[in-house]
Amino acid sequence: MSLEQVTTAGRPVTDDEAMLVRVQREDFSIDEELRRVRARSKRIGGIAIFLGTARDRSKGKDVDGITFEHYEGMAQKKLREIRERALKDFGVIELLILHRYGEIGIGDNIVLIIAGAEHRAEAFQACKWAIDELKQITPIWKLEHTPDGEVWVEEHP
Amino acid sequence: MVTVRLFGMTKMLAGNQGTLSLVLPEGGRVKDLVAVIDAAYPKIGELLQKKKVLVSINQDIAHEDLAVRDGDEIALLPPFAGGNR
Repeated sequence: MSLEQVTTAGRPVTDDEAMLVRVQREDFSIDEELRRVRARSKRIGGIAIFLGTARDRSKGKDVDGITFEHYEGMAQKKLREIRERALKDFGVIELLILHRYGEIGIGDNIVLIIAGAEHRAEAFQACKWAIDELKQITPIWKLEHTPDGEVWVEEHP
Repeated sequence: MVTVRLFGMTKMLAGNQGTLSLVLPEGGRVKDLVAVIDAAYPKIGELLQKKKVLVSINQDIAHEDLAVRDGDEIALLPPFAGGNR
């Protein structure tokens, strides 16, 4: 990438921060990612998790598989913005966001959000906000493979 | 000459090209870029006019009056996967 990975404050992203916001082809282990969040602070007392998986049906049509495409660099930048805003505005101690790209089989993992806070209310709130925001601002596109052919989601607005 | 990156449906509408190389007028702005794309790829042009497809410059959404500079990282962004909630 021509643009260096930096936080919204403009400083370079640390290795730990880079592991907490990832866009990757390979699957992830929820246990491993949960350990990563818990290791950030002993003050965490409530953790909310959102896991998005691939459905076999979309808008009344069968789906055999999904391919995700992302804008390398900008996707990570937007996810970092979401993490930083969650930490600042929702009072959570840590927020992890992972999104996969490439070909995803039905039932497979797509996206994982883990919000760790002192108490459950902030964790639930930040987790819900983060996945909603991800869907609004992150440059990731979904190609659904159906028996009738391939369809970019929102191809016919 | 500027290079424009394409994703998702815009890549498909450009015959599966991942990038477009375009010549812009001197001091060109985003709206001039849109006009050049509209002339060559009217289907993408229509989506740009309707703001269904957005232009980003250096990984931020760009206003139509923003100047396009040499070396800018330019991309066309179709509606994101989660935008149809």
